[in-house]
Amino acid sequence: MKNRKKIIAALLAGAMTLSMGTTAFAAEAEDGYAVKATNTEAKSPDNDLVIAIEGSVSSMDPANIPDTSAISATRGCYEMLVHFNKDQELEGQLAESWEVSDDSLTYTFHLREGVKFSDGTDFNAEAVKANYDRVLDPENNLRQRRNFIETADDGTETPRVESVECPDEYTVVFKLTKAWSPFINRMTQFCIISPAALEEYGNDIMNHPVGTGPFICTEWEEGDHTTFEKNEDYWGEPASVDTVTIKEVPEAGSRTAMLQTGEADMVYPMPADQIQAISGNDDINVLTADSNIMRYVTLNMNLEPLSDVRVRQAMNYAIDKDAYIQVMYSGYGKPATSIVPSIIGGYEEQEAYTYDLDKAKELMKEAGYEDGFSLTLWGDNSTQEIKGMTFVQQQLAQINIDVEVLPMEPATVSDKIYVDEDEAEVNMWYVNWSASDFTMDGSVRSLLYSTMCPPVSANTAYFRNEEFDSLLDQGLATADEAEQADIYAQAQEIAWEECPWLFLGNDELLYSTKSYLSGAFVAPDGAFDFSQAVLAQ
Amino acid sequence: MGRYFIKRLLSTIPLLLVISFLVFMFIHMIPGDPAKLIAGQDSTKAEVEKVREQLGLDQPLLKQYGQYMKGLVTGDLGDSIRNGKSVVETIAPRLKPTIMLTVSAMIWATIIGVALGIISAVFHGRILDYIGMIIAISGISVPSFWLGLELIQGFSVALNWLPTGGLDSWQSYILPSLTMGAGIMAILARFTRSSMLETMREDYVRTARAKGLKESLVVMRHAFKNSLIEIVTVAGLQIGGLLSGSVMAETVFSIPGLGRLLVDSINFRDYKVVQALLLFFAAEYIFINLIVDVLYGVINPKVRYD
Amino acid sequence: MAQTNTNLENNKFAAAEELPKAKSRVKEFVKKFCKRKTAVISLIFILFIILMAIIAPLIVPYAPDQPDYSSLLQGPSAKHFWGTDEFGQDVFSRLMVGSRLSLSCALIATIVGTIGGVILGLIAGFYGGFIDSLIMRCCDVLFAFPDILLAIAVVAIIGPGMVNVMIAVAVFTVPSFARIIRSATISVKGSLYVEVARSLGCKNSRILFVHVFPGTIQSMIVNFTMRIGTAILAASSLSFLGFGANVTEPDWGAMLSTGRNYLNTAPHMVLFPGILIFLTVLAFNLLGDGLRDTLDPKMN
Repeated sequence: MKNRKKIIAALLAGAMTLSMGTTAFAAEAEDGYAVKATNTEAKSPDNDLVIAIEGSVSSMDPANIPDTSAISATRGCYEMLVHFNKDQELEGQLAESWEVSDDSLTYTFHLREGVKFSDGTDFNAEAVKANYDRVLDPENNLRQRRNFIETADDGTETPRVESVECPDEYTVVFKLTKAWSPFINRMTQFCIISPAALEEYGNDIMNHPVGTGPFICTEWEEGDHTTFEKNEDYWGEPASVDTVTIKEVPEAGSRTAMLQTGEADMVYPMPADQIQAISGNDDINVLTADSNIMRYVTLNMNLEPLSDVRVRQAMNYAIDKDAYIQVMYSGYGKPATSIVPSIIGGYEEQEAYTYDLDKAKELMKEAGYEDGFSLTLWGDNSTQEIKGMTFVQQQLAQINIDVEVLPMEPATVSDKIYVDEDEAEVNMWYVNWSASDFTMDGSVRSLLYSTMCPPVSANTAYFRNEEFDSLLDQGLATADEAEQADIYAQAQEIAWEECPWLFLGNDELLYSTKSYLSGAFVAPDGAFDFSQAVLAQ
Repeated sequence: MGRYFIKRLLSTIPLLLVISFLVFMFIHMIPGDPAKLIAGQDSTKAEVEKVREQLGLDQPLLKQYGQYMKGLVTGDLGDSIRNGKSVVETIAPRLKPTIMLTVSAMIWATIIGVALGIISAVFHGRILDYIGMIIAISGISVPSFWLGLELIQGFSVALNWLPTGGLDSWQSYILPSLTMGAGIMAILARFTRSSMLETMREDYVRTARAKGLKESLVVMRHAFKNSLIEIVTVAGLQIGGLLSGSVMAETVFSIPGLGRLLVDSINFRDYKVVQALLLFFAAEYIFINLIVDVLYGVINPKVRYD
Repeated sequence: MAQTNTNLENNKFAAAEELPKAKSRVKEFVKKFCKRKTAVISLIFILFIILMAIIAPLIVPYAPDQPDYSSLLQGPSAKHFWGTDEFGQDVFSRLMVGSRLSLSCALIATIVGTIGGVILGLIAGFYGGFIDSLIMRCCDVLFAFPDILLAIAVVAIIGPGMVNVMIAVAVFTVPSFARIIRSATISVKGSLYVEVARSLGCKNSRILFVHVFPGTIQSMIVNFTMRIGTAILAASSLSFLGFGANVTEPDWGAMLSTGRNYLNTAPHMVLFPGILIFLTVLAFNLLGDGLRDTLDPKMN
């Protein structure tokens, strides 16, 4: 069985059109562009690509990666067996092809021959196995280990992979202990590091990256920049640009200025507020990409007023989702239509909680909370998050819910969230989630499954629904897509009706480039890809 | 004076000890668990425990402090928990940008600020005095992140004269240093002016003037010299704040300096780096103010050291 | 015991004698002060802002927290004459109401910090020796502690809010005042009239508060008026770093900080709070200068 799913290409193209065309820019935009440069003949003064990003490249160890900036950077010098291409199709990278057995238990990868790591080591089946063994070793404490381990409620761990075998130099066989549909998606995050370098540096490999990618990492200065140069011996089409610098520029205004002066060729993210600022430049594109980001507010269902589903629904009716997208993202996004963004596999559109104050007030009255009550709202202390929380506060005030906005540092929030249930102080949490594997299970299990309440994971709604749990488990066990879609549709409906969250929206990713840059883009998971970048000379 | 200097230098040791203890307790009091941050949001309790154990964070606080001090004495400041590099390796590359910026900001701000103050005092109550005042007040009532962004808009985007950030050439120091120095310039101008006004009314200045000495000589030799104590005090206080306060300019101009490192490390609860940085700032601050105290005696021989 | 009594009597006696004099002194002071036009104008401006802080909620055209999502980030117009912010709230109304939080925070924090700092500085500078070292080293500890860390710690432990901003600002006002007043005290201490007072057998506490303290008032006024500006901006800097005060209640500093994201697209969002802060700080400084000159016995 050839496994080449087209996951979301159609959705990707379709979703680009905006649901709200109120801003001048959105109205004139072409598909994928928020602003299109008029000067398309521009030439780059050099062949050195500079990308200015907001976040920090916090690790260069691909097996231990906390965020999308680090994912993006590591993909400059590391490759996986399979990956998502630009159209979000699953495609072989270091594996030329792969097969899945009929019982969905055995995955056989046929590896590309003649590939070398940048330190000269050969890439082969043993290298794959060495990387798998490293990830699985509990002593190494790598984040990626969680991808291959199933943790039961009592904390016992069972590996999802029974064995990894290398029948010949260029074949690797992964045998699963039981059918597990997200396996192939998880393999898109499994980077292959040079086994020789692993031998030499151990877990200090992050300071000495050695991979097979189109670039070689020359410097990783955490908190400032990461630089790459072209890998002259790359096995595939060699990179077009000579060097790549990923520069960390936290201040949005400074990033925009760098693009205007030409110091940066690409900036990401581009805040919607800043779009108007570049309208005077004719050689800048502002591009949009659909995202897997779900923005929501969790409602602690253990609290007296929030335990009533009518109250939770009333709160959802009281929020003007269109205004949210307008205020927060200048219209670049759409109101949430399910518990997951439309880009996630198995998504099924739900009946919207259309902004309706009368209905909201009526529900509140029915529940006996006509005069409202008070709640606190937690969230991170970045400008954007504070803005979003203030918006929610303003909206809920309309139905007499008095919200106290409490922005906190991320570390403090997480400290206060992940406590035992009887100590939980959380009322509402303004948060977002993006499932890097684009699966339904990855999107909702840790947020809504009953055993995932803090401190285990992030189910801060304390949502416990047996039917929902069992549907999620069934979905995981089947590889049949139609059956899975049906199961997940039911699960979505349950959670949507129960309203453990305020469903806000899914914003689009905005980034901008000089018009002489092509081939660099931001993928829906928020990672940027510069491997095919070309600077027009 | 030499003895005084050495005595003061030695007295900084217990002071630093006190600071190190306070800092240690303080940062551990702030909620937030580095083990959870390292293990990730979706980590299990066991995984977090494991990280905590590896970092030695499961030990009692006082024991951790003891171990830290033991390391400090032997010159081992520990490792950053973010990238596994030693604290010294983490801090060292960040020193140069911040120190360069601090020094350049201090130099221009002192020169302009003091000059502005003298001019304002000499032309007290006249138009130049008010112009000086307005410049000084602008310096203090504009937050540095805003000034920085405006300078970028003007000099980088509109005129394309200077880079928006980074530290690749000497030109790239100009805007951040202007941004950092504006507030200090303002404060120094105000203090110089007031102090000069005061000394210029003192009897010895009047006498000098009555003797028919040239006005410029009176101003510089008599009035200014006697205002120096206050100016030096204020300047010393400002340098101390500059080093750790450079975080705004470093953020706006994306400069990898100590200020940003401090904020990043606090956010990540990278205790060892935060501790080392704070100790460094404290030592630097104490040292500069020690020099200021010594300068008192140089400027005004009436001051006794005890 | 006996000594204290005589002291008290002495004081009473002195006070009684000075009473009529004091009245005319105040009159004279007012007369002298009124001659300084800039200072008078500044005083009127400050009083106006304080009045605003008190009555603004009653008279502003819009409620400061009333969003209008159909008119986001609009420039000044007849409807909103200082424009609207990112939620469509009226900038003018927010600034007027915001003066309450900004001014009270800045004034309270600065006054508290000043009193603490002045007392410590006087004592340290006057007595010298061990007391001086002790006070100054304590100030060093405080000062050596970066304010960002203190702010984070305060916010993390007690939670975000204006009181915490006040605490942070007040704590950081103390050491700078102490140092500056101490250095002023040291120079005053050596001056002729203090020597005279000492040789006349005046008690230390009397010399300190009657003779030395007035000599440091100049430095104190300048530092105080400068710190007002710093205190208003402290809210702004903290908000820039994400440790702002109450996010739903308007204050000038926080408005300036959020406005930076719209510097190119809606400049009025930083322009008006910026101007208001500038004028307020300027007024306090001019007033300070006026007071200083009026108090200075050597000036006519």
